[in-house]
Amino acid sequence: MKEYVLLMISAALVNNVILARFLGLCSFMGVTTRIDTAVGMGMATTFVITVSSMADWVVEAALLQPYGLGYLRTVTFILVIAAAVQFTELTVKKVSPSLFQMLGIYLPLITTNCAVLGVALLLVEGKMSFIASTLFAFSSSIGYSLVMVIFAGLRERLALADTPRLFAGPPIGFIVASLLALAFMGFSGMSA
Amino acid sequence: MTMGEPAYSTMDYSAPAMVEGIAYVVAVDGATVWLEPEQNSSCGGCASASACGSKGIGTKAARLEARRFQLVNDAGLRVGERVVVGIRENALLRASLVAYVIPLSTLLTAGALAQWAAGNDIITMFAMFAGLALGFGLMRIGAGRLLVRGDLAPHFLRRASAVETCNSK
Repeated sequence: MKEYVLLMISAALVNNVILARFLGLCSFMGVTTRIDTAVGMGMATTFVITVSSMADWVVEAALLQPYGLGYLRTVTFILVIAAAVQFTELTVKKVSPSLFQMLGIYLPLITTNCAVLGVALLLVEGKMSFIASTLFAFSSSIGYSLVMVIFAGLRERLALADTPRLFAGPPIGFIVASLLALAFMGFSGMSA
Repeated sequence: MTMGEPAYSTMDYSAPAMVEGIAYVVAVDGATVWLEPEQNSSCGGCASASACGSKGIGTKAARLEARRFQLVNDAGLRVGERVVVGIRENALLRASLVAYVIPLSTLLTAGALAQWAAGNDIITMFAMFAGLALGFGLMRIGAGRLLVRGDLAPHFLRRASAVETCNSK
C-alpha cells in the first residue's frame, strides 16, 4: 500500500509531467486562459491517459515483449492512443449526444498531446505491474490537471493586472510558468 | 494606461459566468434554428479551401456537421447570421465530472478491489474494464439528469458583431 502512495506522489508532484518532464506544453499554454476550460481539458486528459495506458500495458505485455517488437513501440502506442481517444469519443457520443456536444471539442486535441505518449513510454521504462502502471498513469495525469488549473488561475488574475505592454499576454505567461516550475522543484527533495 | 495606475475592469461579477462561443445559423426549422460552431482549422485556412471538395472523415466540414445543435428561435434569427451562444461555467464542470470522473472512479475502485482480493494482473485488468463499463452506465444516468435540468443546452446571448471572435473578449 505504502509503495502505491509513494508512486502516486512521485508521479503527480515530484516528477510532474508538465513542470518536471516538460510534456504537454502546447495545451499548458493554449487551454489555460480560463479555469473552467483547464478543468475540462484536465479531466478529459486524465481519462484518456488512464485508459490508453491500460491498453498500452496489455499491448506491451502480450505483443511487443514476447515477440521482440520493441522497435515498433512508439508507432504502436500512437495507434493505441488514437484508438483510445476515438473509443472515448464514440462512447460519449453514444451514451449522451448532448454531453458530446459540450465536451467533444477537447478530445481530438488530446490525440496529439505528447503527455499521453510520454506517460505510456515512461510506464515501459518502469516495468511495473498492471495496477501500478494504471495508478502511475492516473497520478501523472492528476499532476497534469493540477498544474493546468493552478496556471489557469494565475493567468485569470494576470489578465486583470497592470502588466507592461511588452510583457502582456504570452510573455508574462512564460515567466509565470517558469516561476511555477521553480516552485515545483521544491518537491524534488521528496524523491528517494 | 501607464505603469503604476490601478487596472480597472468592466467585467460584471454579479452576472453568472458563461462560457461563450460563436456559431452560424445554418437552417431555420419553424420555431427552432440549427447552428454550427465557428471553428477554424489549418485545413479551412488553406489558400485553396474554396476549391477543395473533400468532406470526408476528419475534415472540418464533417466535424462541424457532427456538432450541429438546435436552439429555440426567440430572436428571429435568419440563415447565415453569426450569433454568440453560451453555457454556464458550472455546467461545463458538471458535464466533465459526469463524463470523465464517474467512469474513472468506478474503474479505479474495481481495480483496487480486485487487486486486494485476487492480487493477479489478469483479474485486475478484467475487473477494471468491467468497472469502466459500469461507469459508462452511471454516466448515462448522470447525463440524463443534467439534460432534464437543461444544463447541457446552450443559450442564445446576442448577435455577434462583424469583428467579434471567440478571443476578442
